[in-house]
Amino acid sequence: MARYQEGDFAAATALVEGISPQLHRFFVAQLANRSDADDLLQETWLRIHRVRHTYRSGEPVLPWFYAIARHVRVDHYRKAIRTRVREQGLEEIYTAAATVSGKGRPPDDLRDLLAPLPESQREVIEMLKVAGMSLEEVARATSTSVGSVKQKAHRAYRKLRETMSAMGSRKGQSGGQA
Amino acid sequence: MTDREIDEALKRVSQTAHAVEPVLLGCIADSIKASLQPVRRLPPTWILTCGLALICAAVAVAGAARAGFYGVEKMNSLQRTLLFPVLTILVAVAATEFVNAMIPGSLRKLSPSALMATSCVVLVGVLGLLFRDYRTEHFVSAGIICLLTGLLHAIPTGLLCWLMLRRGFAVNSVSAGLVAGTLAGLAGVGVLELHCANFEAAHLLVWHTAVVPVSGAAGAVLAWAVFRQNAIHR
Repeated sequence: MARYQEGDFAAATALVEGISPQLHRFFVAQLANRSDADDLLQETWLRIHRVRHTYRSGEPVLPWFYAIARHVRVDHYRKAIRTRVREQGLEEIYTAAATVSGKGRPPDDLRDLLAPLPESQREVIEMLKVAGMSLEEVARATSTSVGSVKQKAHRAYRKLRETMSAMGSRKGQSGGQA
Repeated sequence: MTDREIDEALKRVSQTAHAVEPVLLGCIADSIKASLQPVRRLPPTWILTCGLALICAAVAVAGAARAGFYGVEKMNSLQRTLLFPVLTILVAVAATEFVNAMIPGSLRKLSPSALMATSCVVLVGVLGLLFRDYRTEHFVSAGIICLLTGLLHAIPTGLLCWLMLRRGFAVNSVSAGLVAGTLAGLAGVGVLELHCANFEAAHLLVWHTAVVPVSGAAGAVLAWAVFRQNAIHR
């Protein structure tokens, strides 16, 4: 990262290749479709490039990247809402959203697994369990306290337990009927 | 279903490779290559925090020097030795939080709303403890003058603080605006405590303390408006 700040293109390319898959997965996990995730990844890198001077050596690097990625995602979400509101009626938005989150999109394990969770819990689980960040790093990336991250993770696990148990019992019932 | 099974499910998913199109990566690398120059890093947090605290102190002293140090002259030694150190601590905490709000990936100790609430509660506690004159003469008319004076000094403080951290990047502009407003409001309270010689407890508790939430809310609204304007133009 320090070499990237000094203008080293090889370091910049290495960072793009090393970090991009994680950021892309982060966007895909937030129920964006793949082409949206591609757009968000490009937008994120443009933003990262513009504010690269704000990274300070010695600080953990992943939270810095994820904080900017989150900002880009929220920005994109707000822009999408504004555009949709201008172009369609509210009812059409719900229809479109249902199509995107339902059968219209390609199946993806992580997205399906985290789908029952609210956005704030989903991103915490994604960072903690998939990206492998520590509680403090997630707190840094989400601009919250460590306590708040713990609380969100706890609630997410409770919700996942309930959902997966319900799915398990439904499977059991259908298996018994067969 | 146990937590371990959920962990295993998540681990399985995380171990599957997630590839990004090489063309896209090449495109990103090319787009940043064009403007890849060495950049000047931001100074360490403590330097920025000290800078912000100095701005607050300078505005407070300059404002009181222009209007007169009637308040601090009328205070007894206990009031002086307790009130100003508490204000300094609050300014230091708010300045640190503002720096953290302007640097992505910083660890936040307090949420912006908790910072504002804590500042108000601490001010109410200290002012309530130190000032025991329970008369309420000219409560509204004198109060509005103090509120406006505090806010008028919060405006240049906010502008100077923003100028100092203009190279930063707020990942949540509304929360950064709220913290900046709170910091500027504390500078406004500083001016009032140095200048205002009205020591009625109700006046101090309501109108002096009100500068902090009003300034904080104004900062958040301003940041939201600027962010929205920028988002529309993007």
